[in-house]
Amino acid sequence: MQTSFTAEQLADPHVAESEKILRRCVHCGFCTATCPTYVTLGNELDSPRGRIYLIKDMLENGRAADEEVVTHIDRCLSCLSCVSTCPSGVDYMHLVDHARSHIENTYKRPLIDRLIRNVLAAVLPYPALFRIALGFARVGRPFTPILKRVSTLKPLAAMLDMAPKSPARASAASSPGTRSAEAEKRGRVAILTGCAQSVLDPGINEATLRLLARLGVEVVVPQGEGCCGALVHHMGREQQALDFARRNVDVWIREMEHGGLDAIIITASGCGTTIKDYGHMLRLDPAYAYKGKKVSSIAKDITEYLSTLDLPKQETKKLTVAYHSACSMQHGQKITMAPKNLLKSAGFAIRDPAEGHLCCGSAGTYNILQPDISTQLKARKIKNIEATKPDVIATGNIGCITQIASGTSIPILHTIELLDWAHGGPKPDKIP
Amino acid sequence: MVEICESSGDHGIASGYELRVLKQPGFNMNSIKFLPPRDSVLSRREEIISQLKAMLPRGSLVHEPRELVPFETDAFVSYKQMPLAVVLPENTAQVAAIMSFCYRNSIPVVPRGAGTSLCGGAIPQPDAIVVGLSKMNVVLDVDYENRAAVVQAGVTNLRISEHVGADGFFYAPDPSSQLACTIGGNIGMNSGGAHCLKYGVTTNNLLGVKMVLIDGTIIELGGKHLDAAGYDLLGLVCGSEGQLGIITEATVRLIATPEGCRPVLFGFETSEEAGACVSEIIASGIIPVAIEFMDKQAIEICEAFAGAGYPLDVGALLIVEIEGSDPEMDDMLSRIVDIAGRNSVKTVRASQTATEAALIWKGRKSAFGATGRIADYICMDGTVPLSKLPYVLSKIAEIIDRFGLRVANVFHAGDGNMHPLILFNANDPEDAAKAEEAGNEILKLCVDVGGCLTGEHGVGIEKRDLMRHQYSDDELNQQMAVRSAFDAEWLLNPSKVFPLEGRAI
Amino acid sequence: MISYPENDAQVIEVVRGARAEHRALGIFGAGTRTARDPDDDSASVSSCQIRGIVDYEPAEMVMTVKSGTPVAEVEAALAANRQMMAFEPMDHRGIMATSGEPTIGGVFAANVSGPRRFTAGAARDSLLGIRFVNGQGQVIRAGGRVMKNVTGLDLVKLLAGSQGTLGFITEVTFRVLPVPPAIETIVISGLDDLAATKAMAAAMALSVEVSGAAHLPASVIGRFLNGDLPKGEATVMRLEGLAASVSVRAAKLAETMEAFGPVSRLGAYESCVLWREIRDVHPFADGSKRPLWRVSVAPSVGHQLVAALRLEACIDAFFDWQGGLVWMRMEADPKAELLRRHIRAIGGGHATLVRATDEVRALTPAFEPLPDGVAALSARVKQKLDPAGIFSPGKMG
Repeated sequence: MQTSFTAEQLADPHVAESEKILRRCVHCGFCTATCPTYVTLGNELDSPRGRIYLIKDMLENGRAADEEVVTHIDRCLSCLSCVSTCPSGVDYMHLVDHARSHIENTYKRPLIDRLIRNVLAAVLPYPALFRIALGFARVGRPFTPILKRVSTLKPLAAMLDMAPKSPARASAASSPGTRSAEAEKRGRVAILTGCAQSVLDPGINEATLRLLARLGVEVVVPQGEGCCGALVHHMGREQQALDFARRNVDVWIREMEHGGLDAIIITASGCGTTIKDYGHMLRLDPAYAYKGKKVSSIAKDITEYLSTLDLPKQETKKLTVAYHSACSMQHGQKITMAPKNLLKSAGFAIRDPAEGHLCCGSAGTYNILQPDISTQLKARKIKNIEATKPDVIATGNIGCITQIASGTSIPILHTIELLDWAHGGPKPDKIP
Repeated sequence: MVEICESSGDHGIASGYELRVLKQPGFNMNSIKFLPPRDSVLSRREEIISQLKAMLPRGSLVHEPRELVPFETDAFVSYKQMPLAVVLPENTAQVAAIMSFCYRNSIPVVPRGAGTSLCGGAIPQPDAIVVGLSKMNVVLDVDYENRAAVVQAGVTNLRISEHVGADGFFYAPDPSSQLACTIGGNIGMNSGGAHCLKYGVTTNNLLGVKMVLIDGTIIELGGKHLDAAGYDLLGLVCGSEGQLGIITEATVRLIATPEGCRPVLFGFETSEEAGACVSEIIASGIIPVAIEFMDKQAIEICEAFAGAGYPLDVGALLIVEIEGSDPEMDDMLSRIVDIAGRNSVKTVRASQTATEAALIWKGRKSAFGATGRIADYICMDGTVPLSKLPYVLSKIAEIIDRFGLRVANVFHAGDGNMHPLILFNANDPEDAAKAEEAGNEILKLCVDVGGCLTGEHGVGIEKRDLMRHQYSDDELNQQMAVRSAFDAEWLLNPSKVFPLEGRAI
Repeated sequence: MISYPENDAQVIEVVRGARAEHRALGIFGAGTRTARDPDDDSASVSSCQIRGIVDYEPAEMVMTVKSGTPVAEVEAALAANRQMMAFEPMDHRGIMATSGEPTIGGVFAANVSGPRRFTAGAARDSLLGIRFVNGQGQVIRAGGRVMKNVTGLDLVKLLAGSQGTLGFITEVTFRVLPVPPAIETIVISGLDDLAATKAMAAAMALSVEVSGAAHLPASVIGRFLNGDLPKGEATVMRLEGLAASVSVRAAKLAETMEAFGPVSRLGAYESCVLWREIRDVHPFADGSKRPLWRVSVAPSVGHQLVAALRLEACIDAFFDWQGGLVWMRMEADPKAELLRRHIRAIGGGHATLVRATDEVRALTPAFEPLPDGVAALSARVKQKLDPAGIFSPGKMG
């Protein structure tokens, strides 16, 4: 559609990029149909098309973000379902990224909101701190009902609600070092340890390491790896995000130069989407533009990588698996069939829940910052999953696992845990 | 000041060179006028808003200027008008209260579904309140014995079919925007779609409505029984573009899903050959479910988006869909292939799997949006008698050429409903004006050859000023008189459909 | 006093004359449904001199005809090209015991349809365009000759079925369809009204494209096909299309219907006769003027309505449109109030008194009374087309 930016405005490369994105939008409205917040709230302002228009209006007029715009952008899950639906190829992901950083730079949030975000940004990316925080959360849990009554404090209540009931165990999977292949070596990969996942569910990477070793893949957990930066990136804290990115890029480039890497394995699809975007995020940094692209080009979700290994078919198991396709997996990385094909050939019966394109409401820290909408989406997702009457649920993202587990008694685990079991590993505890 | 730069070819589509207007244009299309806003309303804005606030639940009123901006347009995005306020009611009673309030205060009302109108049907004006039905999105009743579903007006078209799909039923009218458009909007525009060749348009599949009149009266027309008790007011309301009342609930016809359906691609060298093939199919007594036509430009656009396997080396493509059991489809297909062969068909490809079939339709249904990848566009919508198709196609090419623009042709060949997509650069006011003019010429041509201005998109504002090309003054006056029977003060969507001058209210 | 204009201009004269004299004007075709009393001095105007096929494009499936043209002439022209009107309009002469030939204008003005209406649409669904003279003596065109047409308000739908109370239709353009090469009827015997309703609903849920679904109770069965149908009750379903297709679908339908009762089949000739007799309400073409009602309700409750009425009145009835169209003959008293009360009780619908003696007519409104809001709206709409109220005032709504 028509845009009206001045030459000076377009001199800023971020604005220039957003202008190009905006030009693609023809305002057809297809995106509204698959947007989780639009189908929940029924308001154009909480639809991708509406957000695009709000962002356009804000940027064209060179305005600082205000409470109204921030409310609607904050409600965006960044699930990218709209990107999958858009016939015109509007790069909504990068548009809303820009909007979030514009908000962070020009809008002063209310105090509590700021504090909560600061806490999240200061704690979640750092496993040691996160572990300590979870300890506090268990103590603070009884206060949850009180906190829920105050709307500005609901995020605190949400955080407390989500803290696991028992302390997170330490795991060797997170320690830096190289895990050698147990069969004839067919590849060498790095694995992202991540931040929250390594604390909440170390079993995921443990299963990954086991399976890869068994398959003859040498896996290195590089020293100095850290959070991928998705969390702060989605809060609009661009500089912090780029710092995380650069640090990881340095670490992986080092590994690529000393020993070579066939892939960087990521087991949380939310991180995968961001790491695959490093090339774009770092495009304006001459020192990192090329390196970022290189890293992004070998970043692979574990299921993507396994699909290249031609795994042998396994015998059928009497286990029905509802496959929950995480948004970052299906919309962000456009990986739809690979995980299911791997599970099917591993012998599991797969069921697809209805409305599979709709987010479960986890979306990074969304379930903390937007608890009301998140709860509604969670209920809808669980209803759809339970309707398929599965024995277990499989998915490829830790956020979804935490979210869905809190609302159903059906066991939910990571796809890789089932694959590890089918290909010679131990049966996961969660399976009855 | 204008700069020519190489486009970066994002998303894998090389679009060559882009003309970028660097000097601030900031222009508004304004050749289509709106009624001047009523001062009596504008001057009381604050009061009106506070009264609306009092009668609606939280989250149902939008009034901050920044938040009103996304409601200033619909899919006819070259025109924009800010509304006074937007209300998002949750039930019929709230709609009635709002209408009654507006009636007492002489405030214009603009109904809005999903805002996917291609003719400006949902574009408001500064003194109008937009009544958005998007929160009323519940399927109320599904009655297979009576083959009817009762839904709220904000339910999307596709959702109806999805809701009953597992039980072997579907709702037939399928406009390309069916993913997003609402049934209320479909009724307002009497929407069609590719499958209406066999199943008819919305008015042929609508059994009843619950509707709120401008003064707040709630009436019900029709129901699960057939035929009107008195005057066919239901038939009159369908296609009335939000000017007779606001529909809050609809009873629609459900049809048993056919055993199988198969879209088949037929590629031809020229559109004349394709057109002749269409005529022969129809003349032979076969009524396929759908016959869609795409020219070379459209084929490229759609294939780039959907990757459905459209042949790229043909001048014209027909998608013919047949349905029934496998033996039935085989029989019908062989007859159609024979006919196509007699019309110099180059390529024939029948879809073999459900996935393939879905892709073929995905490509066609995304044609308009997918065009956005290469340029801005306006999507025309005129209908011509089938026999005139080849003539009109060649004249369209002539017109577009004369204006120095490009066009992609997509249309419902089975019923002569054409959709030339005129490509232009929306950031260039001259280009935009040329596109509009070219579009108007094409529409007039449709009328001149015995067709009409709009087959399924509606008049809205887009074709309003061409109405006199199709109707005499007496005829327009008669329509306007009937409209006045529902809304004497012309508060409902007042700037739409009927030319602004010469309104005898 | 009857006028017989031959073209639009003459129609305008008649209309303007009636306005000038503040005279009511009745519009009719050739008197199929409105027997004219020659001594009646009320003014009326007939369309039967406005006749002729104006344009017919078989390849485009469109026909334009002047309104006074006999339906027979239209059907002959269509048959010569193996085409037909999908809505198969009823011929009222049998039940009305009149001899006026039905006109095509009358068919659309009264929205006359037949058994196929419930899937193929009514007359109004095939009507693409009209030309009519309104109450002010103006010639108005509405619609056009293409199916996809949403240009302005749909006056075509409004005029269809308006029974001559909104305007004098002089020309109609309508869609026609190919005549299906093959036709077959599946007959299920011995079902009571409720079971028949369930069977028909089950048939309609299959993908076999049934194009006629009627239930003929025992009391009427002997009047069809010269009594050749199996004794008892008959629930009949029609299948049409290409021969190969019909045979596949018939097999599937018969198989499903076997669960309801014994199934037999009728071939092409008998099917044509049967469905024409259903179309023309043959059992009640009894030469009498006993009150005959045409009732439209939701298909699933037609049988309920009849059952409830049987408890309180002596009625004879049979069902079309999957059970949603009930033709109901009363003995002498039309029982209008009773009927309308029960229609309301089962969820709504409408009843039209199609035939009655003059005495009964004088006391019984023929059309369903409308709810207040709709009635007021209808009155306003009429006023906009016929401000002086000359076209059959009080006839409808």
